[in-house]
Amino acid sequence: MFTIRCPYCGERDQSEFSNGGEAHVARPKDPEQISDREWSEYVFIRANPKGIYYERWVHTHGCKKWFNAVRNTSTDEILKVYKMGEAPPPLKEFKNTIKTPSGEPDVGSGNFSVKKP
Amino acid sequence: MTESKIYFKFDGKKYAGNQGDTIAAALLRNNVRLIGRSFKYHRPRGIYTCGIEEPNALVQIINEHNEPNVRATVKKIYEGMIVKSQNRWPSLKTDLGSINNILSPIFSAGFYYKTFMGPKGFWKNVYEPLIRRTAGLGKPPKEFKSKSIHQHHNVDVIIVGGGLSGLLAARKFAGTNYDVLLVEREDAFGGVLKNANKIKSINDQPADEWLEKTERLIRNSNNIKILKNTLVTTYNFSDHLIALEDKNVGKPQDNEKPELVLHKIRTKHTILANGHIERFITFRNNDLPGVMLAASFEKYLNRYGFVPDESPVIFTNNSSTYSLLKSLTDLGHKPKAYVDIRDQKNIEKQTLELLEKFNIPFYPKSEVEGCEGQKEVKKVSIRTKKNQITKIKTSMLCVSGGFNPDIHLFTQSKGLLKWDKDHLTFKPDRIFQKTITLGSVSGNFSYEKLLVEVEKKLSEFQGLNELEVKFEINGPEKFQIKELWETKHEKKSLWSKSFIDLQNDVTTKDLRQAVNEGFNRIEHLKRFTTNSMGTDQGKISSINALGIVSKILKKDISEVGTTTYRPPYSPVNFSAIAGRSTYEFYDPVRKTPLHSWHINQNAVFENVGQWKRPWYFKKSEDETMLQAVQREAEQVRKTAGILDGSTLGKIEIKGKDALTFVNLMYTNSFTKMKPKTGRYALMLGEDGMIKDDGIVCKINDQHFIVTTTTGNAASVLAHMEEYAQTEWPNLNLYINSITEQFATFNLSGPKSRVIMSRVFNDIDFSNDQFPFMSFDNFKYLDTEIRILRASFTGELGYEIYVPPSHALKLWQKFFISSRDFDLVPYGTETMHLLRAEKGYIIVGQDTDGTVTPLDLNLNWMIGKKKKDFIGKRSLTRTDIVRETRKQLVGLVPVDKTLGIEEGQHVIEQKDLSLPIKNPVDMLGHVTSSYFSPNLNHSVAMALIRGGKRKIGSRLFVSTENLNTIAVEVVEPNFIDPKNERMML
Repeated sequence: MFTIRCPYCGERDQSEFSNGGEAHVARPKDPEQISDREWSEYVFIRANPKGIYYERWVHTHGCKKWFNAVRNTSTDEILKVYKMGEAPPPLKEFKNTIKTPSGEPDVGSGNFSVKKP
Repeated sequence: MTESKIYFKFDGKKYAGNQGDTIAAALLRNNVRLIGRSFKYHRPRGIYTCGIEEPNALVQIINEHNEPNVRATVKKIYEGMIVKSQNRWPSLKTDLGSINNILSPIFSAGFYYKTFMGPKGFWKNVYEPLIRRTAGLGKPPKEFKSKSIHQHHNVDVIIVGGGLSGLLAARKFAGTNYDVLLVEREDAFGGVLKNANKIKSINDQPADEWLEKTERLIRNSNNIKILKNTLVTTYNFSDHLIALEDKNVGKPQDNEKPELVLHKIRTKHTILANGHIERFITFRNNDLPGVMLAASFEKYLNRYGFVPDESPVIFTNNSSTYSLLKSLTDLGHKPKAYVDIRDQKNIEKQTLELLEKFNIPFYPKSEVEGCEGQKEVKKVSIRTKKNQITKIKTSMLCVSGGFNPDIHLFTQSKGLLKWDKDHLTFKPDRIFQKTITLGSVSGNFSYEKLLVEVEKKLSEFQGLNELEVKFEINGPEKFQIKELWETKHEKKSLWSKSFIDLQNDVTTKDLRQAVNEGFNRIEHLKRFTTNSMGTDQGKISSINALGIVSKILKKDISEVGTTTYRPPYSPVNFSAIAGRSTYEFYDPVRKTPLHSWHINQNAVFENVGQWKRPWYFKKSEDETMLQAVQREAEQVRKTAGILDGSTLGKIEIKGKDALTFVNLMYTNSFTKMKPKTGRYALMLGEDGMIKDDGIVCKINDQHFIVTTTTGNAASVLAHMEEYAQTEWPNLNLYINSITEQFATFNLSGPKSRVIMSRVFNDIDFSNDQFPFMSFDNFKYLDTEIRILRASFTGELGYEIYVPPSHALKLWQKFFISSRDFDLVPYGTETMHLLRAEKGYIIVGQDTDGTVTPLDLNLNWMIGKKKKDFIGKRSLTRTDIVRETRKQLVGLVPVDKTLGIEEGQHVIEQKDLSLPIKNPVDMLGHVTSSYFSPNLNHSVAMALIRGGKRKIGSRLFVSTENLNTIAVEVVEPNFIDPKNERMML
């Protein structure tokens, strides 16, 4: 379990928060004008990357405020938090982040505990 | 030294031990070697180690609510403790299950997967009960009320382990500005200083004196908190550690105080100084009681102060056994033999000198091939340098196969390991978190280099103390290990086995067989053989297994890799994990303001979310639920009934853009709705599926109050907040839960208008003044109440919203004012029945997250002219408009005396040919079904494929005993189909 720095309350335990899935998925402005396919992509399809992920969180057992966070999904490190409506930080800001705990491939799991010779 | 004895019982017999003894130490002191029977083969097992790594000596503590699988090598005795051995029947000495050992050829790797395949029904009735009886560990504990608690820490540094390296680190931090937590799993600091005879002196004083002084210094510093008897079990991401503290070491459980404390620790830096674990060597019958790890033997000798056996045979492949030899000979005992696989020229001279001085039979370049005995070791069989077998009579064999850094926590932290060629083991390499490893856990087994290591690794911290420590060491400094994982058997018999996992009864033969069958990846092999999957997690054997497998596969051991080390390090009691969240503290109980009244009226309660709601009211002691519900339902339609609806969720929406927001959240249109009216409304998800329903009351365009179903109150509020904050932050509004600000009464029935006029005699309830779905606020005593005319029963009805403080008085007033009508209080079951008679849905009963308003024929509730609302676009998706979707219909049995069961299948065919061979086409299922006292037959609702078109046809509903009931498909509105009663 990690901690999250709520932009309104400060650092708190993860258990106070709920995850709200991918961030910056805009609701179509005029849903009636788009195809079934485009609409269902908005409703059902979300990215699931290994690595840097922009996602939404809500401080459920706290101020109840929604905010955005950048998390490394392979290390669970929260790299940045920012308020709703603020521009997302560019991806290049996180290029020095450790990719995966054990240097395993970018795709797939692989629980390696021994360093590859 | 005279110590008072402590008496405890093991398998009914009384034994005496010393203060501070573990169960194992006390039993060994009494020369008890046989402790339990093994998991699969029921072989006799004894005490193998002297600590947490113990695979064999698991016992059950009878007087601690039957706590099973307790390590005898960890648990300390106290006066009156009652201990029992495990997995034996009828007794430890004559265990019938040991027949499994003879049958062992059929119990090989993958045995369960391969054997218990059929015939049908055998698993449940024959195999499982049989296996449960003979295989396994202890019996489940009795239920008890745990008093365990959780405790949280936020520190700068945690030091795991209060052995030599941990103490040196703590000493560096003592009195500095760092907030430090020092955690030790034993009841005393010192680790190896207390266990072994390896260090002669520190700073020219005996190690004990140095230890005492150092502890005092650390204890007196105000920045270090000490936790003893505390085991760090888990090292999570973001330097979050979990530790389990035993509060009752060496004493019986206290009825008042917590027995266990689960510490949740957040730290900025983690110093792992948790040492090493000795590993064994596999040989024939290496599981016999009397075989013990050498360092554990020495720990009994030094820490517990007794000699488990005065003349054991020592078997080693490294230099560490020198200190055991020294400890024994210092006390005047003489080992039976010293067997070393190394060539004489590679054996350190200190050992050779001792062997010579005390004239101990010495076997260099030799190995223990096996040992013999029925219930404990009697003879050790040695293959000598010249490849000859020599047998030596002895009752104990001390084995050392080398040391493994205790890397469990390090790998949990996601640090990486590498193979250490000098020590033939894995050691930490790359860290992933802010982890520092010190001492033997880092692979540094040299005391001389320890100080340098501590200084170097702690150099990132500012302002630490200077350390001046000088060690004088007993014996060899170099480890000089020679690789040996198992020795070759000489003699083969059904009884003889070479174990690689003692707790799960896995033999080296199983490993070979698994590889032969294609399980050549270590993770697969582990699961197929169950190697290292016991409660000890293979602490003394898992690296040996890797060694053996790498030899079979002819691969480098680091290429084979380790299996994944997962938390916890050692089993954690569920009671500790639960902490205070048990029984009444597990989940809050919410009661309505009328709860006491309900109790007085013999209400039977139902849990709805956290709420206690009256399910039905028992009029007399012998009234059944069915009778009560029928009585209540009949009375409501005859005169009137009243329901406590206080649990309904109530949400207030206020602000300039409240109307726009409510229009977006619900399907209905609220723009043209008049102020002070309400509307039954549906809330959808973006997928078009029904999420909730309720009544939206419009006070004006800037102010709405909506109700939600009891169970969804929190999630609807969260859903609204989410959209208000993330999708439409430009809208100006506030959302607020007011569920608990109002008690709600639902009055229903033909006499309800008369009753309302009697209770509120200054209010005009006539149809003109108070039409259906209108509401208003009224002064009531010193407060204000709101009355809404609405109905969930199809009868004339009113909802009264009153502040909780006035609720009980007003509720009672209703009964006082309506004695001549027999106003009946009714519960949730009657409410469900009455609404089913009208075909009204219950979200979550007649819907399940796959149901749209169109499926329920609720098209009239959709504001089609609205540009947008949540879920609107989904309602025109091709799959949603499909005519063959499951749709809501009513069902009435053709034979009016029959009842329909909720959840049963609706099918087209009358006869089910038994046994059913081909799948029967299922049209749908019954969602609600009740016996209607007002119609005198059953009514049911069902979701069936293409239901709308099937109205008027005849279908069948299956029954519990695979018969069918013929039913008519009808519109789901059974009583008063023109809805005239509620408009009266």
